[in-house]
Amino acid sequence: MVNFTVDEIRAMMDKKKNIRNMSVIAHVDHGKSTLTDSLVSKAGIIAGAKAGETRFTDTRKDEQERCITIKSTAISMYFELEDKDLVFITNPDQRDKEEKGFLINLIDSPGHVDFSSEVTAALRVTDGALVVVDCVSGVCVQTETVLRQAIAERIKPVLFMNKMDRALLELQLEAEDLYQTFQRIVENVNVIIATYSDDDGPMGEVRIDPSKGSVGFGSGLHGWAFTLKQFSEMYAAKFKIDVVKLMNRLWGENFFNPKTKKWSKSKEDDNKRSFVMYILDPIYKVFDVIMNYKKEEIGPLLEKIGVTLKHEDKDQDGKKLLKTVMRTWLPAGEALLQMIAIHLPSPVVAQKYRMEMLYEGPLDDEAAVAVKTCNPDGPLMMYVSKMVPTSDKGRFYAFGRVFSGKVQTGQKCRIMGPNYLPGKREDLYEKSIQRTILMMGRYVEAIEDVPCGNICGLVGVDQFLVKTGTITTFKDAHNMKVMKFSVSPVVRVAVEPKNAADLPKLVEGLKRLAKSDPMVQCIIEESGEHIIAGAGELHLEICLKDLEEDHACIPLKKSDPVVSYRETVSEESNILCLSKSPNKHNRLFMKAVPMPDGLPEDIDKGEVNARDDFKIRARYLSEKYDWDVTEARKIWCFGPDGTGPNVIMDCTKGVQYLNEIKDSVVAGFQWATKEGVLAEENMRGVRFNIHDVTLHADAIHRGGGQIIPTTRRVLYASYITAAPRLMEPVYLCEIQCPEVAVGGIYGVLNRRRGHVFEEAQVAGTPMFVVKAYLPVNESFGFTADLRSNTGGQAFPQCVFDHWQIFPGDPNEPSTKPYTIVQETRKRKGLKEGLPDLAQYYDKM
Amino acid sequence: MLFVIGLGLGDVTDITVKGLELVRSCNIIYLESYTSILPCGIEEMEKFYGKAIVIADREFIEQRADEMLSQAKHLNVAFLVVGDPFGATTHTDLIMRAKDKEVNVKIVHNSSIMSAVGCCGLQLYHFGETVSIPFWSETWKPDSFYDKIKRNRQNGLHTLCLLDIKVKEPTIESLTKKTLEYLPPKFMSVTDAADQLLSIIRDKVESGEADLAFNENTLFVGLARVGHDSQKIRACSLIKMKECDLGSPLHSLVLPAENLHPIEKEYLQQFSENQL
Repeated sequence: MVNFTVDEIRAMMDKKKNIRNMSVIAHVDHGKSTLTDSLVSKAGIIAGAKAGETRFTDTRKDEQERCITIKSTAISMYFELEDKDLVFITNPDQRDKEEKGFLINLIDSPGHVDFSSEVTAALRVTDGALVVVDCVSGVCVQTETVLRQAIAERIKPVLFMNKMDRALLELQLEAEDLYQTFQRIVENVNVIIATYSDDDGPMGEVRIDPSKGSVGFGSGLHGWAFTLKQFSEMYAAKFKIDVVKLMNRLWGENFFNPKTKKWSKSKEDDNKRSFVMYILDPIYKVFDVIMNYKKEEIGPLLEKIGVTLKHEDKDQDGKKLLKTVMRTWLPAGEALLQMIAIHLPSPVVAQKYRMEMLYEGPLDDEAAVAVKTCNPDGPLMMYVSKMVPTSDKGRFYAFGRVFSGKVQTGQKCRIMGPNYLPGKREDLYEKSIQRTILMMGRYVEAIEDVPCGNICGLVGVDQFLVKTGTITTFKDAHNMKVMKFSVSPVVRVAVEPKNAADLPKLVEGLKRLAKSDPMVQCIIEESGEHIIAGAGELHLEICLKDLEEDHACIPLKKSDPVVSYRETVSEESNILCLSKSPNKHNRLFMKAVPMPDGLPEDIDKGEVNARDDFKIRARYLSEKYDWDVTEARKIWCFGPDGTGPNVIMDCTKGVQYLNEIKDSVVAGFQWATKEGVLAEENMRGVRFNIHDVTLHADAIHRGGGQIIPTTRRVLYASYITAAPRLMEPVYLCEIQCPEVAVGGIYGVLNRRRGHVFEEAQVAGTPMFVVKAYLPVNESFGFTADLRSNTGGQAFPQCVFDHWQIFPGDPNEPSTKPYTIVQETRKRKGLKEGLPDLAQYYDKM
Repeated sequence: MLFVIGLGLGDVTDITVKGLELVRSCNIIYLESYTSILPCGIEEMEKFYGKAIVIADREFIEQRADEMLSQAKHLNVAFLVVGDPFGATTHTDLIMRAKDKEVNVKIVHNSSIMSAVGCCGLQLYHFGETVSIPFWSETWKPDSFYDKIKRNRQNGLHTLCLLDIKVKEPTIESLTKKTLEYLPPKFMSVTDAADQLLSIIRDKVESGEADLAFNENTLFVGLARVGHDSQKIRACSLIKMKECDLGSPLHSLVLPAENLHPIEKEYLQQFSENQL
């Protein structure tokens, strides 16, 4: 631990080139938090007065009980590089000439898919990521998900192969096999990186490379780790060779013949792979000698590797001694912190290429330039990525990253929510920052101001922002882009207080819950039901527990979890639909058409979006989806919420004053796509074409009151006549298990309408990985079911993957979709039965 | 039988003798309350007719008029419209629906702002297409009526501008919800109208449009409560109209043609402070 005063920390904050903001990301159970602990114990900063209190990383009770991380926590660390290591930093923007110390802000994030939104929020405020992979299990679904997200946010990764102790002790892998395993993981990670970025991109080379030192190996649990740099340094003197050159030799197809002293590029009888010979062999030797109690060999070996045991450690043996030796020989903190300081970018470097991904406004305005150059004298631009509960019930710290300028206590700022539009007053507050604070683990320290490139918390902003927002002093500033989550809130439960008089407490509690979690949605249905929507069963379980115990503090009644559906169409409307406005003088003619496969996903991903230049978008749509270019140019908007996967297009010819009703049509479209006609679920993948419009001669008779309800009616009529279908969410489910359990998995999946699309053995291990698609609706209790059918040997990870059409016509009472529609309508307090076309369609 | 009866403009006594007799003979009386209003209250009308009146708002006429039409099948129903029954285009649809349902309809005409506007001295023969000016919102600022005004002006015609009234309009936010909330009643004054017209002109100038239909010095005529004892008429430039308080509703605005007939000019002079 490093003992710093707030003033000393504050001084470090100004040296922006020596700051590293990083997240630790990984699949669940790959050992992030354990690894983080070993870093913190080496370099964690504790402010003066708090030194001595040991419960520094202690967080939620349930996290410890379940052994999983639920909320991400930020920890600051301080680390000094030695002179010999400083030469590895060549970019002048990566280090202040006079400074050896580095301020490392680390965010430990959850690995379970249900909490991916926490990862997203962590990635936004950091520039680099330490990707932890269990070298026994390899790259898993969540590794891929978070890595993909990191690359998309332009976060530079380094890799750590964890749990080497298991590979050696439990699996007893041969050295060459272990090398192959490492090699495969590196390749897998690089394939993912290459898919989502290229080396010519603005970030430069993103690929990880052991020979460059951007890959670490070791055991977080035992507290040891190394990169090729450590071993290269050990041998460099002996071989009289440059450290960097040797690092290149220690990985890949490099073989050394100890007799002839010759290097070779291929395996021959009398040579050996350098990585195995120089790195793995010594480690294997240490393991062998200690674990097999070859007492007499221990002493000389320790001397050889330069480890002197402390007096009190001399009596240890077995695993305990192994830990001590490895920890002394290859201290994890040292290797990892070096890797972080050398390979992860400083804010100065990162913000140069991240700015265009972060800022919505023009890329040359004052705010954009200040962010790009990480200028502490520019206008303040800060992004609040999440809210952290304070000890004061119901209040939150706004947690985020300062990208330019300085944020300080008492400063007057513009607080802009995600719905703020430049020039408008909506979602905008001009208030003073009550207090700026440093957040270290669970402690907070008041600090006068925080300059750009740093992460901090704000007091008093929580009343103006729901979850996220932009804080600035520049009056023409646009928003920082909102985060895109990799998971969707597809599972929902209804809650009500056990005691009806507690309703106000529930409402207040739901507001707090919505704030405290980046993704959870709290909705009040028209029927008065309170709905909580989350990513999965576990996410909801935690949310409900928090709501009951922390936010509302009242006993709750909870419904069974239900799934959100989407309403889509499968054919073009079989008639041209007409609806007349209430005054009968305005007539809208439309049709609904299903979108081509892939387009809704393109819209979800933002490949096609409302902010694109309409000409470029039209070209894309015509090339990829064969849409008519002239029509594609006339997309009026996306919906619901202005961004959803449905569009309304103007296919009319020469209608006068059409632009005067556009806003009203758009409002009706947003409404109708948000609450579809079948069961008031969102629509998905529907393209509405406006074919003709007849308007009243006078503007007064074609206002919102006339057009909005009419638009909704004609959209509903078009929908009903276009062979409606229901869509359900589907999980991608990855299950790890030993071979004997595979049969049981198939049985469980079959019963739940799931199907396996990939089954493979994890190379070098007896484990199998089964990948399957499983409807979310069938996933409740899946984990328990799977465990009981496989003798507790199979562990699933489910992540939302896509929407699929639920087979069957929701208009046919014998089908499952019909039942779902009816159940949903009943739950929402809607009239049961099917929507009646006559209600929406008017005769000429 | 459905009697659609015009009430005229001024007060309760503007109803025609024929109309009054019919009202008194009817079983049920509806008052259309959203296209225009009478300066007097509903109590005064009930007292004068000796009959109870049912208020028919926009939702009732546009969406639930069938109730009234089925009553009219076997009862005598009066549907009272301020001004003339055909003054508002909206009611043609109602009458057609009545015909569809084989309900007999009888119309009793009365004076309307469309004819009473003559009180300012501008000849009705010289009026072009009538326009209405809607209240603008933050996001909805239609200005297509400007084009019509311009056409009238180019053809040497006067334009009667009817000004928006919102008796019971739902809020835009509530339009996309299931329960409607209503805005407080709102009536456009000549001041509001002049303000919007000025802003259209400013936009046109900014976008570089030459040959404007009018400018801030163009002569306009503001009329308030036409047909009522407290009727007020004022002729002045658009910029002055913006400051002009003509009192309680309803207001209308007229843009006279560029070249006025000498008689028109002389008559108009009495409403102006300046020499025309």
